Amino acid sequence: MQYKDYYAALGVARDASEEQIKHAYRKLARKYHPDVSKESDAEAKFKEVAEAYQTLKDREKRAAYDQLGTHRPGEDFRPPPDWQQQWQGPFGEGSAFGEQVDLGDLFAHLGAGFARSAGGRGGRAQMAMPGRDFEVAVPISIEEAYGGTHIDLDLAMPEYDEQGRLRPVPQAFRARIPRGATQGQRLRLAGKGGRGFNGGRNGDLYLDISLRPHPVYRANGHDLYLDLPLAPWEAVLGTAVEVPTPGGAVRLKVPAGTQASQQLRLPRRGLPRPHGEPGDLYAVVSLVLPREVGERERALYQELATASNFKPRAHLAEEGSHAH
Amino acid sequence: MRIELNEVIWLEAETLSFDELLERSGLPAQLLKELVQAGGIPPLDPSAAQPQYGARALMVARRARRLQQDFELDAAALLLVLDLLDRVAELEGRLNELQVKLPRRAS
Repeated sequence: MQYKDYYAALGVARDASEEQIKHAYRKLARKYHPDVSKESDAEAKFKEVAEAYQTLKDREKRAAYDQLGTHRPGEDFRPPPDWQQQWQGPFGEGSAFGEQVDLGDLFAHLGAGFARSAGGRGGRAQMAMPGRDFEVAVPISIEEAYGGTHIDLDLAMPEYDEQGRLRPVPQAFRARIPRGATQGQRLRLAGKGGRGFNGGRNGDLYLDISLRPHPVYRANGHDLYLDLPLAPWEAVLGTAVEVPTPGGAVRLKVPAGTQASQQLRLPRRGLPRPHGEPGDLYAVVSLVLPREVGERERALYQELATASNFKPRAHLAEEGSHAH
Repeated sequence: MRIELNEVIWLEAETLSFDELLERSGLPAQLLKELVQAGGIPPLDPSAAQPQYGARALMVARRARRLQQDFELDAAALLLVLDLLDRVAELEGRLNELQVKLPRRAS
């Protein structure tokens, strides 16, 4: 079994008071709780913190944990010989203390073990227990959202064995992500969570879809946006350009007089919806200028400057004249 | 090794009764009742005799269970946190909507 330092996880001393443990937990929970945190590894960090707190906040569990002694985090260790007799939990049999047992699972079920073992051995055997539900984050690319995909999941699910002992069982399976799942979509895999025990239903696995950033497209729901830089003359005179879409490149007509930051809509070229019309794709126009111009170009710009009576700052001049 | 391909269920494709919502969320019954009565977890059709709940209700209820368990919150505090998280999500949605419309490359 691998040792975990629960005191270090909470950043408290081994002789910390219950109050100090609670304070440390609350502070870290606010920082790392996956429902409120924006930290990138919030979920894993919170799991560590919560696991530590669940054990240390309970006097009996904390005493049991302290008796394991101190080891280096991750060090493989075996509990002292009399530990099991004293803290007889669901892992009663000696064989249960293999390397596979997770310390967190052990302590999570220690309390349940106390309660049941008080009423005699084998209490767990009569009780149906539902498997746990799990949520996993599934980042996919915009192309995968467009065309649908499948993902391979490698998870370690805590499961009860025939003796009602909990141990992590590696589960590998493939799930189909249907077309049209976009940012924030939740999908459910029925019965793929933790396995139920003694007739209890299997838990579910929830997939939390997010879209990975894309070099060309930006997604808003099922609509996609991309940048369309135009040269000034293209915007003034109009043109036709080829733009990429997830379904393949298309020709887009840019009307004469197109303005910067205008959005040109390509209907139904965004992400498909599970039901109903696909989203749209918008080309967001920006005007770009050459950094350097040749002599001939400069002459033409000069001619344009002389010939044009376009006043781009007319509204500022008007504002200025009101002030006097 | 042959890997079994599993089909997913769109959460939107399902509607749940109160009891199913209770089971799937893992919330204590009394707390779920309070959250529903206070409007924190709205049914699909509030006027229905046997209200049904949709995907959103399930996600809110599961979030409520996590928050209640991890922060030891009561119903009033939970409702406040759920409301605020909802507003954060709405504002982030609007921010994203504005950001996608801005050209990314300043030329």
